[in-house]
Order: sequence, then structure tokens, then C-alpha cells
Amino acid sequence: MDTIVAVSTPPGRSAIAVVRLSGPQALVILRAVVGEAEFNPEPNRAILKEVLTSEGVLDQCLITYFQSPHSFTGEDVIEISCHGSPVVTRRLLDLIQSYDARLAEPGEFSLRACRNGKINLSQAEAIRDLINAQTMAAASQATRQLRGELSEALQPSEHELIRVIVTLESALEFVEDDLPAVQVEEMRMAIERVAADLGRLAETYSVGHLLREGLRVAIIGRPNVGKSSIFNRLLRMERAIVTDIAGTTRDSLTETISLQGVPISLTDTAGFREAGDKIETIGIERTRRAMADADLLVVVVDGSSALQKEDHEVLNEARNHSFVVAINKTDLPAQVDLENNFNGSRVVHLSALTEAGIPDLTAAIMEPFGRLDSASAGFLITDSRHHDLLVRAISSLDGALESMDQGASEELVLADLHNALRFFGAITGETTSENILSEIFSTFCIGK
Amino acid sequence: MTVFDEAFDVIVIGGGHAGCEAASAAARLGATTALVTLNLDLIGQMSCNPAIGGIAKGHLVREIDALGGIMGRVIDRTGIQFRLLNRSRGPAVQSPRAQADRALYRLEMRNTLENTPNLALRQGMVVDLLISENKVSGVVMQDGRRLAAKAVVIAAGTFLNGLIHTGRRTYTAGRAGEPASIELAEALKLLGFPVGRLKTGTPPRLDGRTINWDAFQRQEADERPVPFSFATDKIQQPQIDCYIGYTTTSVHEAIRKNLHQSPLYSGQIKGVGPRYCPSIEDKVVKFADKDRHQLFLEPEGHDTNEVYLNGFSTSLPPGMQQELVRMIPGLETANIIRPGYAIEYDFVDPRELGPDLQVRRFAGLFHAGQINGTTGYEEAACQGLLAGINAALLTQGRQRFLLRREESYIGVLVDDLITQGVDEPYRIFTSRAEYRLALRHDNADERLSKFGREIGLVGDSAWERFNQRRDRIATIKQALETTRIRRSDPAFPALAEKTPLNPLESISLADLAKRPGIMPKVISELLPAEIRSGGRVDELEFALADNLYSGYIKAQESTIHRLHAHDSLPIPDNFNFGQLNGLSHEMAERLERAKPVTFGAARRIPGLTPAALATLLVNVSASV
Repeated sequence: MDTIVAVSTPPGRSAIAVVRLSGPQALVILRAVVGEAEFNPEPNRAILKEVLTSEGVLDQCLITYFQSPHSFTGEDVIEISCHGSPVVTRRLLDLIQSYDARLAEPGEFSLRACRNGKINLSQAEAIRDLINAQTMAAASQATRQLRGELSEALQPSEHELIRVIVTLESALEFVEDDLPAVQVEEMRMAIERVAADLGRLAETYSVGHLLREGLRVAIIGRPNVGKSSIFNRLLRMERAIVTDIAGTTRDSLTETISLQGVPISLTDTAGFREAGDKIETIGIERTRRAMADADLLVVVVDGSSALQKEDHEVLNEARNHSFVVAINKTDLPAQVDLENNFNGSRVVHLSALTEAGIPDLTAAIMEPFGRLDSASAGFLITDSRHHDLLVRAISSLDGALESMDQGASEELVLADLHNALRFFGAITGETTSENILSEIFSTFCIGK
Repeated sequence: MTVFDEAFDVIVIGGGHAGCEAASAAARLGATTALVTLNLDLIGQMSCNPAIGGIAKGHLVREIDALGGIMGRVIDRTGIQFRLLNRSRGPAVQSPRAQADRALYRLEMRNTLENTPNLALRQGMVVDLLISENKVSGVVMQDGRRLAAKAVVIAAGTFLNGLIHTGRRTYTAGRAGEPASIELAEALKLLGFPVGRLKTGTPPRLDGRTINWDAFQRQEADERPVPFSFATDKIQQPQIDCYIGYTTTSVHEAIRKNLHQSPLYSGQIKGVGPRYCPSIEDKVVKFADKDRHQLFLEPEGHDTNEVYLNGFSTSLPPGMQQELVRMIPGLETANIIRPGYAIEYDFVDPRELGPDLQVRRFAGLFHAGQINGTTGYEEAACQGLLAGINAALLTQGRQRFLLRREESYIGVLVDDLITQGVDEPYRIFTSRAEYRLALRHDNADERLSKFGREIGLVGDSAWERFNQRRDRIATIKQALETTRIRRSDPAFPALAEKTPLNPLESISLADLAKRPGIMPKVISELLPAEIRSGGRVDELEFALADNLYSGYIKAQESTIHRLHAHDSLPIPDNFNFGQLNGLSHEMAERLERAKPVTFGAARRIPGLTPAALATLLVNVSASV
């Protein structure tokens, strides 16, 4: 096994950057880097040392040694905290690579941890989520997965499914034994219950995946209705330039905020109208792209004037998306015909100038998360792989129900039930045929 | 220098169901073969119930037959009650079962072996194996004879260190009335094999003249018996009835009161018994709330009064057995001819074996049957066949013959044994096969006859027969696809009452057959006349079964492929599991014992944690 090195902190300028080494040569390389052949750092203790190059001292660094197997990867690991200048980290990396180490591939530290049994794959997934978590809510969800709560949430359903399989299998395998007759209706209801429970769990993904990936919101509308002002109000800072000149915003602008623990990626866009010049044409093109990428559109209209042709065009384009209408400028006399234009749409009245109604807009954006507080007592599916497995399990269960309705023989019903169990197993760990047989023998008196 | 009395290519130790198949296969493949057995008159003896087949077991017999084995042919000639089990269910889980005339079966089997060229029968007891340079070279007999062999198959059944229990009395025996094989068992231990203890039991046999038959419910044979062998056209034996009865709560009460007399409950028996074949003591203790247990009265043959009391396996003292039997309604005056008993015997951990059933320790030594921890005649026979084939192939320098889980129950059984080991006597079940829908009893020939032919066990006439059958089935399948029912068809109105039909579109018979409530008979009547007249019912059923299951098999394959994409990942020979960082000692030990050759085999090892598998996967994929 060779020794790998990488900068563990994000690129760019910072107060401190951490360079991490993992592998059997880590300590040898460290000795070379600090220029002390006899250097024997005490494990898990930070020590201040000067790092030397042929040209002299590179930097003063805080060095921590984690001795194998008591480290993240299970190998010898050295963490060097240097000053966070890109020049320093670059030269430190070059120095280390000039000895017996190579640059780590993405994820290679985790792979080594996994290979050495320090973490398992699902923990690795959860760690990935935890690192990528943008908000507290997402982080706490990842922590729950790390603790194995998803498996726990699935266990009652899995047990019920196994009970049904055991009953049907024993009817097939032990046809000469004096077993109680299979209660087909009871079996059907049990499968339906499992499918419904899984369905509820799978549905939480619609909210759960937003916790992980964030909600993308685009603010759209014709020029000069106040999109950038609303954008700034939501960000709570004057990020976008605001003037009363129509078409001030020429390019899309995106910032991330956290609303009630959910990451929201907010995009201010160039207004919709016949383009005046080439720059504006490109800007409007980008607006369309932002619309296509968004989970939710905020369509801004000017409430102080009658709707114009462009307003209708924007509203038409929004129809294919999930959207909220924000009627701006309530500080001015209202001119918009509400009833004939927005019937059936979600409408919020606000004034970007006075901030009246901004909390209503926030509430409207957060509406899909209304269930979050009650749902988070249970478990949220945040991972697309888990969601996919659940959906496939449900579809297998539906297949089994269909076979039952057609009066198909048990082995066909079981083919689908076993498939469902396999999808379960990919999340919770596998159920072997030996497990099923054991369950049969403890449930029924078998033995002609 | 060792002087041998005789020399053979292959020696088979034991004349039970494994030994018979092994000897027959090896000899027919051209190896000079000796079958050494304690008593030539008891070749092919059914030690326990007088029946062959049953769910999944019947599949094994048909696979043995398709490969060119002999069990199917022998039972077809000696079976006195044929029944196809699960007839009301789908074709994949139907399985033939036949009760045998015990004496006829034994004679037919001996006759078959005596008429096999290259095969010598020798009576005597093998007491030691001759091994030189990690290679088997022959056997030593109790009477001093030494027989040379290039390969040896041990198929000693329950005889290895056999110990019979009835009540508190114990005595060494291989079966009731036959000596145990003590020295051979000791020799295996000395050779370093890990040896364990298993237990099995058998019920009392009754005098049929003392049974009140009217108190029992009659169970008849099938009107259309389904044979085991693809070579059998018609079952010739007259068919008999069996009878079903029940125990009562007072019987249970009496058993519970006398449990202290049962060696099972006194702690005297250490070996583990099969959970699916419990003694009557176990049944009344573990399922105390059941107020009756089912019993079968099975006549043992045409020319005997002996009756097998199936479901009443016991090791209580014989006097107590007699009292209990007479408490059963209908058996008030019944006499026991042979008491039931329990027997403990040695087995060798089957994880010692490779997929050809050759032990890894010594070249040329094969184990088959109960020595590998299995139970059942069919389980034994299929191992005997595989071991006999591979023993012969080895002596001829030919490539070994292996079967996969995906293509046969035999493959499932062998893979389970050699990777998982056994905690109790191993029996086959359909649920052990992932590809159950594809492994039907009626398509065993399509799955396996080509292998039997390649090896050289399937002769010209059987091969010709197989090809003709396959062609006829292909014709039927084509007719199912191409024959379409339209509104103008005279059969349309009657059919539309059975299943919804679109009057504007025609429907193929293949699609029609998948509809619920459309029986094979309906399809048969819609087939073109020339196909209907030429075809056989079982061949139409074969074509319809393929048609019914094809979609399910595809869906299952895609699921398994999706979830177990790494299963085919090879694990290198001599892979050092102990060296894997992060694998606990226990996990490494389990892997070392099983020596899986693919990641899929490792995945099926019981007790491996998901974390251990993930560690293995990461390391194996890195090392390939």
C-alpha cells in the first residue's frame, strides 16, 4: 500500500489549511519534512514544528500523528495544519510528493477507511451527506442515518413481509404436512399494509431530498416589477443592484440562504421582454435556464399597474412549473384585477419597499416543508438510492397483489415477494433462505 | 512395498443411495470400479421411509436421471404409489413422489449394478484409507485385504461411528441389526478431518394384519402417474393405497409424562437432528398447543404385511412405543414388528470439499451423502452421482464436472454444503433455489441432459429420445405463438365468457394461456389439429410452463443482477482472508473455512456481517 496526501480543507485562502497524509510511509515522510530523523511524535497530540525545504523554513505548522490502526483510515495518518495560503499549501504538497507519497484520488481516504473496516458503506454514504450538509436539518438527518435509524424504520415492514413469505413458502414446501390453511385475504391485507407503509416512507423523499440537495427558487417576471428588491429582502442584504431603470439586472444571480434549516438556492433573473441588445438576449436565455432548473418559481407582478402583455407571457411559461405569484408594491394603490388573473394560483401580497408581506412569501416558499415538523418525528428518505429501492420494493409488492387477485399460484406471488425482500435487503442487510426456513420450522410443526 | 490383493480405478465405500450412483456412474464412464459394502444383500436399502421424491427431492431425482443416473429408473420399476405433489400449484413447485416396494427396490438396484460392465461388487468392511504424498492410493479391509485405487468415494451413510438409542439403552450399529463402521471413522479423524455428530431417527414398523384400516382415511395413487425417469413411458407396478390418521391429546400426554425415558430429552443424545423431520417427542413438546399430529400408514410392499408408521419417529423404549401406538385410534390392537430408534453418526464438515466433492486435503478422495451432513436418499444419490463422475474423470485425466446454482438443484445443494457447512442434517427445499421458477422437474432434461451426454453417461437412445421430445416441444411453442384467436373464430364466444377479449384484436394462444382461469385443456383444444394429435399432455404443459414463467424469470434476473452485480467477482485462489485489515477474527475464520471462490459465494456464508462483506468487496475488487 502506498502513502497518499491531499489538502483536506477547501481550496482558496484561509487562516489555516490542513494537509493530510495516510499510509505506511507517513511517519518517515514527516521526519524528512521536519528534518529530524529521530522525530517520534506522541500519537493524538498536536506539536508545533517548522517545515523545511532546501531553501529554508516553509512554514510553522501544527502536526498531529494518528497511529495505525487508531486513525480514520486505519493506517498511519499525519495531519499538518499550515497557514492557509495557496502558495504554502502548494509547496507543502510538492515537498511531500518529492518523498514517497502520491496525491490521493477523490474519496481515497474514505475508501481506505472502508477497506480497513473502519466504516461500512452505508456509514460512508452518511458521512458524505454529513460533509455535504448545508444546514442543520440536513446534518441531523445524516446523523440519524449514520446511527442506522433507516434500518430501524424499515424493520416492522420487513418482519411483516417475512411473515407472509414464511406462510406461503410453508404451504408450498410442506404440502403433505398438516398445516393450517393459508388465509389468503389476511395475506393480501398484510402485503397491502407493507406497501402502504413503504409508500409513506418513500413519499418523505419529496421533502427529504430537498433537505440534502436544497430547494431551487427562481424569481421571474417582466422588467422593473421589483424582482431584485425581493431577492435582496430574502437575502437580508443589498446583493443585487436595484434601480428604477427597466432591465438593470442583465444576468442571473444566485445565492444560498437557509430558511428554517432548509437550504434554499435563490436566483434573481433578468426580466422577460423583447430583448434590446445582445447582452439582454443572453440574459433572458439564462432566465429560461434558471426556470427549467428551479423547483419553485416566484412570479413577480407589479400590483400598482394593470397586467401587461409580458406579465401574461411570464405567467403562461410558469404554468408548467410549481409557482407562487408575488404581487409587489402594495405600498401603492392596487390596479391588478386579482380575480380574473390569478384564480387558483397561490398569491402573496407584499411590498419589497416596506418589507410588508415578506414573511408571507417565505411561508409560501416553505409550504412543501409544512409537514416537515410532524414528519421529522419519523424518518425522512434523503438518499435517491434508498428512494429507488423503496419504489422498486413497492412495485414488486404491487406485482404480488396483482398475482393474488388473479388467483395465481403461490410460487408466482412469492417471486415478487422475494424480489421485494431483496430490495429491502439492499438497505437493511440480506435475509437468506436459511433465515426463512428457520422461521418456518419455529412457526409450524413440520415433519411427515 | 505395499502388496495389493486387487487394483481398481475407483473404489466406492458403501452400497446405499450415494454409493450405488457413484459406482454405477464411475463404471459406466469406463473406470474399473469396485463397490465395497458390508452386506451385498442390502445394496440400495431404504433405511427409513420407503419413498423417493417429494417437493424438491423429486426435482433432484429427475436431475439425476437427466444426467444419466439410475435412481429414477429403479424407482419407476418398483414404485407402488405414485403421486405428483402440488398438482394444484404451478409447474415449478410440482414434484413427483413415489412409495417403493422396499424389497423390490433393493433387488432392482442390485440387479442394475450387477449388470453394469466394469463394476465389481465386494463384500467387507473398509477400516482404513491408504494415503501417500497427499494422494489416496487404496483401502484396507477388516479381513486384511488391500485394494488399490486411484480414487475413493466414501459414502458410508449413518455407519460412521453409528450409535443407536432406544430409551436409555445405546449400542453401536450402522442401522438396526448391522455393525457400525468404527475404525474408518477413527481413520478420518486421524487424517485431520473436522468431524461432527448428527442425529436422525425412524418410526416403528407395524404388522398390517393388526391394524383397523377402516379407522383411517384412504389416500389413493394418481390416476396418471408421473414417472421420474425421462426414459419411462409407463408405470407398470400395480398401485396401492396409503392411509392417514392422527394422534390424540392423550397420546401427547403420555409422551410428555415419559420424556425422561427419551434419550433426546435426557441429554444422552448430543448430535443435532433435523428440524423438519422431528421425533414425535419433539412435536408434542415444541408444538404443545397442537391437539393432533398427522400420521401416514405406508405399506412397505406388495408381498409383506409390514407397515411404516410415518410421522411417529421416536427413540422411546420399545415397550413404551408399543403402549403409545395402541393409544392411537385404529391401532388399538396393532403390534410393532420393528421398534423405532434414533441414531447418532459422524459427519465430516463439507467445507472440506471442492465443488466436485473431492476433499481439499487429499487428491482422489471424495465424500458423498450423509458423511457430508445431508439427509435423504435423493440428496445422497445426487452427491454420489457427482462424486462418482468426478472420481472417474480424475482417473482419466479429464476435466472435472461441476454444476451451478442457476441450472440445477444439485448445484444449489453442493454450493450450500461447501460454502455454508451444516448445523443440522441438510435437506433440499425449493426455497433454497434462487431460480426456483426456472428449475422445474419436467425440464431437468433440457437443463442437464447435454452435460450427461458430454460426459458420456447419456446413451444414444436416451439422447435420441431427448432430442425428439425437445423438437416436439419447440413445435408446440411455435404453435402457441402463431395460432391467434379472432372474433370470427368459432371458439371465440365460449372463450369470451371465460376471459375478457377485445373483439377488434386477435390474441395468440401464448398470451391467452397467461390469463387467469385459462386451463391447459382449453389451450390444447385451440391448437391446430396436427399438433394436438401428435403431442403429449406433458409436452404441452412444458411449453405452457416456459410461457408462464418467462416474464417472471426475466424480472428476477434483472433484480438479482442489479443488486448482486458483484456476485461473479472472482476471489483469487489462496486469498488470505486473515490478512484483511478490519475483518474481525471471527469473520476471517468463517471466510477461511468456506474458501469462497466468488463474491457471490461469500455473500451466502451465514453470519457474515454487511461490514465484513463490504470490506471483502473493496479488497477483492482492488486485487482483481
